[in-house]
Parts: sequence; structure tokens; C-alpha cells
Amino acid sequence: MVTAQTFVGLLPEILAFLFSMSVLMIGVFSPRSTGLVAGLAAFGALATFVTTVVLLLTRFEGEFFGGAYVVDDFALYFKLIVAVSAFFAVLAAARWSGRTGDAPEYLTLILSVAVGAMLLVSMRDLFGVFVAIELATIPSYALVAFDRSRRESSEGGMKYLLTGVLASSVLLYGIVLIYGAAGSADLAEIAGSFTGRLTPVALLGLVLLISGFAFKLSAVPFHFWTPDAYQGAPTSAAAFLSVAPKAATFAILLRILLEGMPAAAPTWTAVMAFLAILTMFVGNLFALRQRNVRRMLAYSSVAHSGYILAAFAALQGAGVERAVQAVLIYMAAYLVMNLGAFFVIDLVGEEAKTYNGLFKTRPGVALCMVVFMAALVGIPPFSGFFGKLWVIIAGVEAGSAVTYVVVGTVVLNSVLSVPYYFGIIRNMFFEEPATDAAEPKGVGAVKFSVYTLAIATTVFILFVGPLAALARISGLG
Amino acid sequence: MPPQAQQLLDALNQTIPLEGYLIVGAIMFAIGAYGALVRRNAVVVFMCIELMINAVNLSLVAFSDYLPDAGGAGAGYAVLVIAVAAAEVAVGLAVVLAVYRSRKTVNVDEVNLMKW
Repeated sequence: MVTAQTFVGLLPEILAFLFSMSVLMIGVFSPRSTGLVAGLAAFGALATFVTTVVLLLTRFEGEFFGGAYVVDDFALYFKLIVAVSAFFAVLAAARWSGRTGDAPEYLTLILSVAVGAMLLVSMRDLFGVFVAIELATIPSYALVAFDRSRRESSEGGMKYLLTGVLASSVLLYGIVLIYGAAGSADLAEIAGSFTGRLTPVALLGLVLLISGFAFKLSAVPFHFWTPDAYQGAPTSAAAFLSVAPKAATFAILLRILLEGMPAAAPTWTAVMAFLAILTMFVGNLFALRQRNVRRMLAYSSVAHSGYILAAFAALQGAGVERAVQAVLIYMAAYLVMNLGAFFVIDLVGEEAKTYNGLFKTRPGVALCMVVFMAALVGIPPFSGFFGKLWVIIAGVEAGSAVTYVVVGTVVLNSVLSVPYYFGIIRNMFFEEPATDAAEPKGVGAVKFSVYTLAIATTVFILFVGPLAALARISGLG
Repeated sequence: MPPQAQQLLDALNQTIPLEGYLIVGAIMFAIGAYGALVRRNAVVVFMCIELMINAVNLSLVAFSDYLPDAGGAGAGYAVLVIAVAAAEVAVGLAVVLAVYRSRKTVNVDEVNLMKW
């Protein structure tokens, strides 16, 4: 039954959708009004953010559409993450897309991904999950292939598209097999039938489901699309896609595993531990040999997926609550540091040598990059440190031999990642500037984003307490 | 009518068991996956993936028809899946077209500016 409450529960998505459609329509009727559409899109993301905060503060909760759609603190938290990253992505995208003259289409695609990601975290029905995940993914193929002036863009888009669609069909097969084994696509009813020994059909469904998600999360061995897609994509799109859809996918995977198949936890924590170890090593080792900073950050995002999967491996025994907290805190930490690092690339350039002597020519931007790199390594007091700290605590509290191994791998990989992050810092401080890199014009919005995110990364410790409290009341775990 | 013919008719009149549909679906899925991995033309790869999605759809409809609890809801889901697959094709062919415009080929082996 659809009541007025349903509309309140769906208000963030409805707002984002309405704004994305009006941006598109303005693009149809007055294609040159870049400033108007950029302002409207940014305002839409902001309105979505404010609505979600209000829903969170009023402790709004409810189940809609026969329990297939749920609004709880957990879902609202991830909607916040999506809205914030959409806001910054729109700010960063406005200048670039205004120059190419495609601002309305580009911004509409960003908002569509945001709508899909926000719907995704609330789904409690596996087919709803599939539709929402596709709503978030299909526009992102177009976003990656959007830059017609660079041949890498369409190439990255095609690689992302072919692997992504393949992953979707694998994911769908997993969902259908679980639906067949459980007789229902509703997570609560699946939980009722996923007890005791798993039937072969259910086990195959679970494996295919996790493989499909591993593709979307760029977990090794399903990560091949990530570097090409992020290198080819426009920088603002790469920044957005590495944060918002990924956060939502992690969230829904957490919900499916914890609500839908808690009795099978020993099986899937083992799979997650395996994926996490592999993902961390491959991501970091490949990042070490990159000369292109954007490609390096793509591999670094693979490695960070591994750190978050390490928290999934700790979803057992006494570690469940802390592991859920770890995922929530890590995603917020990753949001500020990774968006910031990508936006610095937008300001400076993607070749490593363009960073030579940046501290002498543009000290403000260079200092921000130092903050982001240190945060991505996990040096206190920057944001990434708290994410990793929570992952490690969760692994230790879970207290099995496997989680100890995973925690050891997290620490080892943090050390492994130091050379490539600090290589950029070395270039900025100790190399001579090759050319006098003049600041491009009209980058005010991007610079504002970079400085804001750098400040958020630095004072992240202030957010940790509220985030941990929110994780505790969020119902999962 | 000879008894053998009668037996054959009876056998033909029985409903096909669920396993039959699932096996056909699994074989179709495997053929699609094989084609997606070995074919080099991006459009053909795309067609193979569509075959995989339709194989899954067949399993889905079979499940919804045979499961006592499902109440036929799977048919509704199948329509959703078809709609999603159509949306994927719309964006997918546009991206393939963009690749073709920039380098006059859609062979996935020749689209190799970026490696490792």
C-alpha cells in the first residue's frame, strides 16, 4: 500500500531524480546554459543531502512495498555518502563538461548513477537489488566513454561495458539460483531457508552472487576493467565512480550477507578473506609500477576494496558489530581522501612528471595532495588511518586464525603502498619544476572541493565518534 | 494402436520436469559465456552476453512456474530483467559506435591503448 509515508521515505531519490530530469530537459531546450544546469545539478545533490540528513535526524524508519524497500539508519548513512560524492562530482564536472558543451547530459548521468546507488542501499529484495545496481551501472558506462576528445575514453568505456554486462549476467544467475533454492527473493525468507547444510543450487547461487559483486567492487580476480575505465574516464567521473556506486555496492552486499544468509557465514567469510588478501596484494603490487597517476589511483582503489573486504572477512563471532562499523567508517574516510586525490589530478595532470616541483609553483594544491596521499597510506591523524584501524580491530575481535592472517596482510600492504604514494610527494618537493605550470582558468569550484576535502580528511577524527555510534544503532550486526 | 506407440504418447504428454529447463538454461549460459570469452568482435561478444541473460531468464521463469511458494512472481521479475537488458543494449551499442568512430574497428584485440 502506498501512503504519504512512502513518499517521505523515497524523498531523497525522488528529489535526485526530478533534478536529473530537469537538468536533461534544460539541456534539450537551451543547450548553452552551462551555468544554469551546473547550479541546478549541484543544488539537487545538496537538496538530496539535506533531506537525507533530516530523515536521519528525525529517526525516520519504515518498510515499503511489502518489505522490499527499507529505510533505516544504515541505508540513510550510505545515501549521505552518495549525495556528498555526487555534490563534489558535479562541482568538479561543471568546468570540464561546460567546455565540451555537453554539461546537461554529463550531469544527468552523474545524478542517475546517484539515484541508482541510493535506491540500491535500501533494497531488501534480490531482484530489486539487480534493477537498482543496473540503474547505477548503465549510466556509468556512458560516463566513462563520455570524453570524445581522447581515444582512451571510448576504449575504457568499451572494456568497462563488456566486463560489466558479463558481470551483471553472472550476478543475475546467482540471484535466480538463490531465488529458486529459497522460493523467494525476499531477504528475510531467504534467511529462513539458508540454514544447515547448503544445497548445491544454493551454494552455486551464493558463489555466482559473490562473483558478480566482486566484479562491481573491482575485487581481484575480477578487477581488469578498473584501471582502464578510470584512466579513460573524465577525472570527475572516475572520482565519482570510485566512491559512490562502490560504497552502495559494499552496503548492499553487507545487507544481503547479514540479513539474507547469516547461517552461511562460515562459507562466505572464508570466500571474503580469500578475495581480500588477493585484492590487496594485486592492487598494491600493480600500483607500484604505474607512471600515470590516475592509473595508479585506480590500482590503489582496487587495493582499498581489498581493505574493505578484509572487514567482511571479520563478520563472524564477536567481530560482527565492529566489522559493520569498519565498513561504515572506511567508506566515509575513503570518500574524502579519494575524491580529493582525483580532483588534484583534475587540477594538475595525470603524468607523474607534471607533479615535479609543484610545492614551489602551487604550494596550496601540493599540500592538499600530501594530505590525501598520507591519508591513503593510513598515516594518523588523517582519515584513512581510522578506516584501517577499525578493520584491524574487527579482525582481531573476530579472533579466528583466518582473520589474523587477513589483518597481517592489511598491515603488510599498508607498508607496501608507501613507495607509490610517497613517490608523488617526493616529486612535488624535491624535483625541479619542468615547466612553469600556470594555473588553468575557471577552476574555482574544483579548488574549493579540494580544500574542503583536505580539511575533512585532516579533521576526520571528529567524525569517528558519531559514525561509530551510528553504526551501533544501525540495526545490522 | 500398438502398446509401444501408446507408451510414447503417454511419455510425451507428461509435464517436463524442472530439471529439464534448468539444464537447458545452464547449457545456454555456458555457450554464451564461451562465446563472450573467445569471440573478438565487440558486437558479437555483446550478443553472447545477451544469450547468457536470456538463459538466466529461462531458469527464472521455470522456477517461478514450478515453485509452490513463488506464486508466479518470477514472470514479473523476468519482464524487469528483459527491460534492463534492453537498456544495457541501448548504452552498449552507443559505446561500441563511439569506439568504431574513433578507430574504425570493433575488434577487442585491437582496442589496446591501455595495458597493465
